Amino acid sequence: MAELVQENWLLLVLALLVGVVVAWWVFVASRRTRVEIAPRDEDTPAQRNQALIDATPAAAKVAATPAPVAPAGGDDLGRIKGLGPKLVEQLRGLGVTTFAQIAAWDDAEIDRIDAGLGRFQGRIRRDDWPAQAALLAAGETAGYEARFGKL
Amino acid sequence: MPIWLELFVLMLVAYAAGLAIGWAIWGGGTVEKDANG
Repeated sequence: MAELVQENWLLLVLALLVGVVVAWWVFVASRRTRVEIAPRDEDTPAQRNQALIDATPAAAKVAATPAPVAPAGGDDLGRIKGLGPKLVEQLRGLGVTTFAQIAAWDDAEIDRIDAGLGRFQGRIRRDDWPAQAALLAAGETAGYEARFGKL
Repeated sequence: MPIWLELFVLMLVAYAAGLAIGWAIWGGGTVEKDANG
């Protein structure tokens, strides 16, 4: 055994290094995404709680801003890059069927929809769906392809 | 035990040791927190 180690120490060191590199990748490199929260010294916890209490309920907000009415059948949302069949189904379940609806999303709406996308979270902003949808809704194929690539 | 199997096991042990070293250095299962977190 000792001889084997002596004869192949280089191989063993390599295996050890591979292990270290894999561990580094698992624990460091794949966790680059960090959530940074800006310090808000002016808001004490009590103030924040009061703000939450005073805020209109989320359900009321949703009801107050009805989504644009979808034409019968809706658009082919799958044309948006980063939006696959599964997501199309998910959005359909949320009542989103047209490019115009997606183009009209504001930040709050994006956050709300994004929260329901499960493992696809973050795609809306990553692939800029609202901008894609706006161009597709307007039928600006050239503008779309210039910015997002071939349709 | 054939020699190649011995060598394979040794390399596996070395690889596992590397993983353990990396885990000890960078910490498994802990989410990094910054000053605001």
